[in-house]
Amino acid sequence: MTPALPDILRGNFLCLAIPGPPEQQGEFMATRVGVVALLSLLAAQEVERGTTARVWENDAIAAVLAEAAEVYGVQYAEVAQTTAKDLSLEALDRANAALRRGLIALHEAVENAGDLPRHQAIVGLYGQMADNRRLDLPPLPAR
Amino acid sequence: MSDLKAGLEAYLTELWGAPTAVTNLSRIPGGASRETYRLDADTGGVTRGMILRRDPPGSLIDTDRRLEFLAYRTVHGHAPVPQAIALEEGGGALERPFFLMERIDGGTVPSPFVFDPYGEHAQALGEQFFTILGKLAALDHEGTPIREATQAPAPEDCWRIALDHWSAVIEADEQHPQPVVRAAIRWLYRHPPPPAQRISIVHGDYRTGNFMHDGAGKILAILDWEMAHLGDPIEDLGWAFDPLWNHFDEAKVGGLIPQAEAIAIWEATSGLKVDPASLAWWSLFNAVKGQAIWTSAAREYRDGGFTDPILAVSGWYTARRHDLILASRLAALEAI
Repeated sequence: MTPALPDILRGNFLCLAIPGPPEQQGEFMATRVGVVALLSLLAAQEVERGTTARVWENDAIAAVLAEAAEVYGVQYAEVAQTTAKDLSLEALDRANAALRRGLIALHEAVENAGDLPRHQAIVGLYGQMADNRRLDLPPLPAR
Repeated sequence: MSDLKAGLEAYLTELWGAPTAVTNLSRIPGGASRETYRLDADTGGVTRGMILRRDPPGSLIDTDRRLEFLAYRTVHGHAPVPQAIALEEGGGALERPFFLMERIDGGTVPSPFVFDPYGEHAQALGEQFFTILGKLAALDHEGTPIREATQAPAPEDCWRIALDHWSAVIEADEQHPQPVVRAAIRWLYRHPPPPAQRISIVHGDYRTGNFMHDGAGKILAILDWEMAHLGDPIEDLGWAFDPLWNHFDEAKVGGLIPQAEAIAIWEATSGLKVDPASLAWWSLFNAVKGQAIWTSAAREYRDGGFTDPILAVSGWYTARRHDLILASRLAALEAI
């Protein structure tokens, strides 16, 4: 997914390391530091859950595509064969992009066919995908 | 002296025909689509508190600054907004396009992502918030400044214009395939809403976090009109009701008041009715619109060298939240 975790962590460094003009100090910079801290918290969640979520999602999409291939065409079985070359987030995301493109095409075909059970199954998968990738914001008090 | 301060002094001196000094220039946090600064302009012993809105090198959303400026001019006197002072579309003295408006002091604008920001004043603020929105929906915009920059769409076209625009943003800016939002877009095209009851001024980003209050139960200003346009007024309700803005309180819209109460207030002040089918469509649409904005944020974050952390939050946390919201809304729909 974008932005990638390494981009965010490098960005956190850059946005604090590059000095801003005088009018961007004070409240603006204090808020920026707070946002960087928040991003660090979210990054910790992504480190903890991100690989597991991607591995699960890639397997789940591949299963849906493979199962649908008999009805909707062998091209979905071919996409379902997509695997990541390793467990890095980059490799998992590259495979995920191919699988998601296959899922988008399949869902469109399912809708055109009026195939309600498979449509509902795909929508259910969307819910699981979104939930596995969720990031939790702490309930910070208002200042 | 910073370049910005010098540029402002030169500009205001020419605008007012008298030597002007700028003091207390400081950037205000937030405002990812425009750089926002507060400043004092001193001319001949008179000090004016002002706000500068300047186009950034990259932004969260690519919007029409002239339309925003004219929206302020149009609603001033009808809704609590600062008075717009000057617009420079060419940039000139400040290198990038900008506009200036009066500053409203003494208020606070809580982040949309904090817990219980309004406390005991939530009810009063909620009543005002949806009263103002109802009045905006009822406002006659014929012959007003905003009509210099935009035409009124036909009532039956509002949904298509909005959906075409935001789905095109996703198409242009997407860096990773997004099956959930694409499914929502297809559903919205297959199931159009009823035509708009009237063509109104739509704020476009009417939500908690975009109004200033005095800390004692009074709304001082509705801010950030950069996505203002003419369209179906239910669009603003759908955005204001989005769970993203609920401040961890699922029982209240915007962390303010229950949704049913908000609708009753809005209907009483607008003179319009909220058709449940229309609200459902615009609610799903607004989750798509949100995802489009976050998709652009992720692109701008990359194109800007990953240096604006607000864009990172938008392109990452809020994008994931809206995927959850979209998936939940899709699951609740019965028809394909």
